[in-house]
Amino acid sequence: MNDNDQLAHRLALLDGVEFSATDLAAIVAEVEDLQRVAAELEEFAQATPWISQQIQPAGKKVGS
Amino acid sequence: MTATNILELNLTDLSWLIAGRQISSSEMVQAALARLDSLEGKLNAFITVLREQATAAAQQADDEIGRGNYRGPLHGVPVTIKDMFETAGVRTTGGSKILADWIPTNDADLVDKLRAAGAIIIGKTNLDEFGHGGTSTLSHFGSVHNPWDVERIAGGSSGGSAAAVAAGIGPLSYGTETGSSVRRPASYCGIVGFKPTFGIISRHGSFRGAWSQDHVGLFTRSVKDIPLGLDSVAGYDPRDPASVHQEKAAYTAGLDGNVKGVKVGVLRRFLESVNPAVKNAFEAALKVLAQAGCEIVDIDIPELRYAAMTSMMTSSAESAGINRRWFRERHQDYVPHVSRGIAAGMTITASEYLTVQRARHRIREAVRGAYEKVALIVSPTTSRVAPLLAEGLKGNGDDTRHASYDHSNMLRFPSMLGLPGCSLPIGINPEGMPMGMQLIGAWFADQTVLNAALAYQNDTDWHARRPALVQA
Repeated sequence: MNDNDQLAHRLALLDGVEFSATDLAAIVAEVEDLQRVAAELEEFAQATPWISQQIQPAGKKVGS
Repeated sequence: MTATNILELNLTDLSWLIAGRQISSSEMVQAALARLDSLEGKLNAFITVLREQATAAAQQADDEIGRGNYRGPLHGVPVTIKDMFETAGVRTTGGSKILADWIPTNDADLVDKLRAAGAIIIGKTNLDEFGHGGTSTLSHFGSVHNPWDVERIAGGSSGGSAAAVAAGIGPLSYGTETGSSVRRPASYCGIVGFKPTFGIISRHGSFRGAWSQDHVGLFTRSVKDIPLGLDSVAGYDPRDPASVHQEKAAYTAGLDGNVKGVKVGVLRRFLESVNPAVKNAFEAALKVLAQAGCEIVDIDIPELRYAAMTSMMTSSAESAGINRRWFRERHQDYVPHVSRGIAAGMTITASEYLTVQRARHRIREAVRGAYEKVALIVSPTTSRVAPLLAEGLKGNGDDTRHASYDHSNMLRFPSMLGLPGCSLPIGINPEGMPMGMQLIGAWFADQTVLNAALAYQNDTDWHARRPALVQA
């Protein structure tokens, strides 16, 4: 997927909300920045365990 | 005692005087409301003032105390709360046009606890919309101004709370922090700001900015007052998924200012981007801590270079999830900058969010390792003093989008990891603006943080300085 397609794919996630040209330009700049940051963090996070966010049991075990 | 003098009282002294009936709650509440009236035109720190309710509640508190039914240190004390907390029968806006007229039917847990403690809520403070910002200029209700210089920002997002306490409008305020929204405005306004370990204070009934980073925090003018305000509102609440089981809070009883042998770590590389006056004040503050008995050591946590960007990505994605429905239906009603931020957050994919959490885990493990060597990490709270309002959003001092030794990483990592942190005043710069230092402890080392902050305060008088705006 080329850069333009990637951007179009991301902007499709805005649920059809329409912005003015000025707002859209600002959002595109922000999204491009987020893409760069995401790539940088992916590199940084390599070899780190995937974290687990299991729902905790309700309440507290008596005597624990 | 004159009305001006009683507004100078810190919470500890005021509680004592109210309990002993040397000052009435009514007298104190009226003085705070009069101060609010005289300064609000300059500060814009409040969205809603609870004049009638506060007056009636103060009278009730006086009656109860007169009958010997004293509830504790907050009884009869005027307090303010950020307009992020739901108040039954009183509008709760989150600083947003979307909820400009919303009147909840229930109190937030914090409000419940304050009412039970007999505190008098006199007003709900201004903020960046739903906590999305670091300036308190992104509010539907206009910008908050800094009491030290009304041409400058108060910091955000809890700017109204910080400005109110700095201006003597009550000795205590409660705010929230997702990135740095308690510590930053506390530093900019020359007061004490504390956020406890994640899960110590329930967030039930307050708006979420980013659920995995949101905390409730406190503002006071003295470190001694923080535990009084904390003891009354801490505790397990099953309605908040982040709430932790804990013993009955007794931070006041544990406050002794003893820091003999406490190891304090300094991350020198992150000082490079700090303004020289702030850096000098920080170096002087380190000497005070050393004289009080701390052992100051240099440490390095290179992973923290990624802290600000990890925090920003996390909060962007989570706030998009939280605001998704309103965004679809009413995006034009958000403050434009906030709306654009939510839009960008909506484009973050699930796999990216999870990758960011992986990065967060790596940073957490590195920080956990550091806390095996030191008890506290300290740094300047902000790299410079409160910027001018005219500098706009770029003036909040954040440069968070690059892996670097930028100081913004210092500001962001405590909330991202849920660590207890306290900002307190350490000087006044040549322009007359306050500077702050933050003390960050390991998870649940809240008492250590408070004791070190008290040790510093005991040997300095920066916390006693007041803005010219309120000097008699």
